[in-house]
Amino acid sequence: MNKTRLAISVAAMMAAAGGAMAQDADMGAFLDAMTPEELLPLAQEEGTVTVYAFTSRIAAVETAFEAAYPGIDMIGYDMSSTEQITRIKAEAAAGINNVDVIYISDAPVVYTELLGAGLLTAYVPPRVADALDDAEKAPLLSQRLSTKVLMYNEEAYPDGAPVSNLWELTTEDWTGRVIMVDPLQRGDYLDLMTEFVLRAEEMASAYEAQFGSPIALDDGIENAGEQFIVDLFENDVILVSSTDDVNAAIGAVGQENPPIGFTSYSDRRDNEDEGWALQVANDVVPSNGIIFPAVLAVSATTQHPAAARLAIDFLMGDDSDTGGPGYAPFYVPGDYATRGDIVDHPDAVPLAEFSAWSVDPVATSSIRQAVGDLVLELQ
Amino acid sequence: MTHALSLKAASQRWASGGLALKLAVLLALGVLVAAPLLRIFLETLGPDAIAAWTDVTASRLSRNLLWLPLANTMILGFGVAAGCVLIGGYLAWLVVMTDIPFRRTIGLMATLPFMIPSFATALAWGSLFRNSRVGGQVGFLEGLGLAVPDWLAWGIVPTLIVLIAHYYSLAFTVIAAALATVNSDLVEAAQIAGAKRGRILMGIILPVALPAIVAGASLTFAGAVSNFAAPALLGLPVRMQTLATRLFGLIEVGQTARGYVIAILLIAVSALFLWFGNKVISGRRSYATITGKGGRAKRFELAGARLPLFAVALAICVLTTIVPVLILIASSMAPSSSALFSNWTLHYWFGASDPAIAQGQAGVWHNPFILSATSLTVGLGVTVAVTGTALGLIVAFVLARHGRGPLAGAINQLSFLPLLVPGIAFGAAYIALFGAPIGPLPALYGTFPLLVIAGTAYLLPFAVQTGRAVIQQVSGDLDESARLTGAGFFRRMGAITVPLAIRGLAAGALIVFVKIMRDLSLVVLLFTPTTPLLAVLAYRYASEGFTQFANAITVVILVISIAATLLANRLQAKSQPWLKS
Repeated sequence: MNKTRLAISVAAMMAAAGGAMAQDADMGAFLDAMTPEELLPLAQEEGTVTVYAFTSRIAAVETAFEAAYPGIDMIGYDMSSTEQITRIKAEAAAGINNVDVIYISDAPVVYTELLGAGLLTAYVPPRVADALDDAEKAPLLSQRLSTKVLMYNEEAYPDGAPVSNLWELTTEDWTGRVIMVDPLQRGDYLDLMTEFVLRAEEMASAYEAQFGSPIALDDGIENAGEQFIVDLFENDVILVSSTDDVNAAIGAVGQENPPIGFTSYSDRRDNEDEGWALQVANDVVPSNGIIFPAVLAVSATTQHPAAARLAIDFLMGDDSDTGGPGYAPFYVPGDYATRGDIVDHPDAVPLAEFSAWSVDPVATSSIRQAVGDLVLELQ
Repeated sequence: MTHALSLKAASQRWASGGLALKLAVLLALGVLVAAPLLRIFLETLGPDAIAAWTDVTASRLSRNLLWLPLANTMILGFGVAAGCVLIGGYLAWLVVMTDIPFRRTIGLMATLPFMIPSFATALAWGSLFRNSRVGGQVGFLEGLGLAVPDWLAWGIVPTLIVLIAHYYSLAFTVIAAALATVNSDLVEAAQIAGAKRGRILMGIILPVALPAIVAGASLTFAGAVSNFAAPALLGLPVRMQTLATRLFGLIEVGQTARGYVIAILLIAVSALFLWFGNKVISGRRSYATITGKGGRAKRFELAGARLPLFAVALAICVLTTIVPVLILIASSMAPSSSALFSNWTLHYWFGASDPAIAQGQAGVWHNPFILSATSLTVGLGVTVAVTGTALGLIVAFVLARHGRGPLAGAINQLSFLPLLVPGIAFGAAYIALFGAPIGPLPALYGTFPLLVIAGTAYLLPFAVQTGRAVIQQVSGDLDESARLTGAGFFRRMGAITVPLAIRGLAAGALIVFVKIMRDLSLVVLLFTPTTPLLAVLAYRYASEGFTQFANAITVVILVISIAATLLANRLQAKSQPWLKS
């Protein structure tokens, strides 16, 4: 007991000594080992924690966090992962220490351009470490798995998904009726395009299954994945600037002939509030899209190291079956908790039966730029 | 002897003072204007970046990176210039030369659209015409059961219309001012000689107004090619890109080298046409000074055409001023844009966070970002109005009193250069220059001073214009006498020029204030979470699909801008001489 108190007061002194000390690696290791109870007084001393988050759900987290830990002001900014990456790099170049916690997808870019450049510090709350697989703890902590998968309007198609093979999206039936976010604006969508290319062989056999003949590639097109992207764009795929636009387009109830498109499975949670009828198309050959980690990290230049760690601990959920208030915004069908001790959401397709491809960050980052250029050429 | 000596000493001091002042001004302009532009150019020549030139101009990507956006940009530029000259010229002719009823009202209304930010008009367009192409909420017309075709909801046509509706008042102002100088004796002589109206129009009025028409066309052209908001909001769903939106997209995803190349090309396009317009006018500089001292010519009698022409003018004015504002106000309260006038709620203004509405976004009144953005935006407007006007006054003073020599020439050119640089390209240049520490100076990225510096530089041409008008009002003799009594530069400014010209200065400062308040293109790239600005927040809300919030913020901007504009008009009673009867 006394020892803990001593540790706290020492840490408080170190924290009070300012930013330079806070970046000290020893200090980081020291805080890394602390329990949330030990972090709390230090975090309260720091007073605020700024989070860049790739989801609008950060607003709900903010409310819950401030209720759980009075005296610490959480400032959440909802920014796409792409924008976060640009901003974090620009802020680092400018020597600005604005952000404490980064909550982001786009792992392929995050690992190479942010973590690799020393802009992020990995942190795994000791409280939840045992409930995670090794791959979910390194190189950065994964909080949950998110998706960009094919979704349809279940009101208009009560008998199930209108599409069972991705190649159907390139046919006349779906001309001008496939919608997604511009892959050049959102990294998740560029990852999805990249995955088609990485899975070119599966795409080729799916083509044959759909049309009965082997795929013929256009000039300059190297594989079935690239050909799929080309055909999708030639079929007047509609690009918008945010997933909410995609959701509303696909999901809005009362449509006779709604479009289909790629969005987050978890956005189905808003069906009731927004008047949507979003449903996932899971039985799709060769896959319905991608599933990828949402990662949490501490900014390497954080001025609030204890509060940052406390916030990450909070975002990982409490010890109840559903993760409690910190995880509540993410305990929805379509998001898959990385923690083994949080039970699957009863209304979702179980992860084991979910047909989405799991993204390989390293392979993705190797060809991402080239796929981006292909998309740029097609626009 | 003593007297002559002291005079000589004074004039030496004066000359060296003038030189020091010139050098100081040149240094300031160098940092503010030349350095960012040079920097952005040098950035693209680095070993990693030079390939971007090939990528953009000569690769398989260049069609989408450059040529199509360039084509769209040119269509917008020429289309908007033509539309603005037609509409602005038509209204100017009616107001200045004819016996149209309610001339003053039309004259006033025709100047207002420019005060409404173009993204506000674009948002209003969306609220009306949005169709189901991107699904979700449709606009009011589809809500009434009318089918809106894609070409009317998205892309080049609505962008053209919105931009014309925004910029025509610029053409109106320029052309009306020129028409007011038409020598009435000439017109009367022609009338007595029995010339028909068409003949008078072609033979007398048009030649006098031509330079103004060219000026109006090139100004509106430059405005249209650099506009970011309208094509961004109305073009993306049909994959329409302009150079401005392409530049924004590239910078946002971190492809800065390609973005900078696009920025340079955009500056080149804009500058080329402004230069060309200037070339056409120059050599005919006398157009504004034709002094018809005779009585005001008898106005053209429109006779039977009076009411129809009035109806057209009124429709144009109402559609471009009152209608967009009403739509914005209505759609900031309507839960669904397909039913703009039903189920009104003040939730988007004053509501607390409700998870069932808009992902739990609280009303703008409760959103701490929006409150801080309002104070920051107003603070920025006031600061830039002060710094810009002060710098503009000093530059104008230097040019008026020491206007000779290569230094003055350089100052003159540099102070008008920002007029040629689209705001978004300027923003990109500022990030390139101030995004990292320069020697011992800290980086300015994400700070209020950067916004102030960028805003001051961007609006310098307008401030210099105000400064010139003011300096011309104040007789040089006063300044000279004060100088001979030994008063220093700042003393003379503070004790003579500024007090005498305070009304003109304040009006000019208010115009700068309004321009910053409603500007999006300059700040959209400079925005960081620590420096939220109203226009950027509105744009972000709009692109996230939170239309009502976007519209509510836009209404706030509008109210502040219009109030400041009306105040400026009052201060500057002489700004619309053609309204005098």
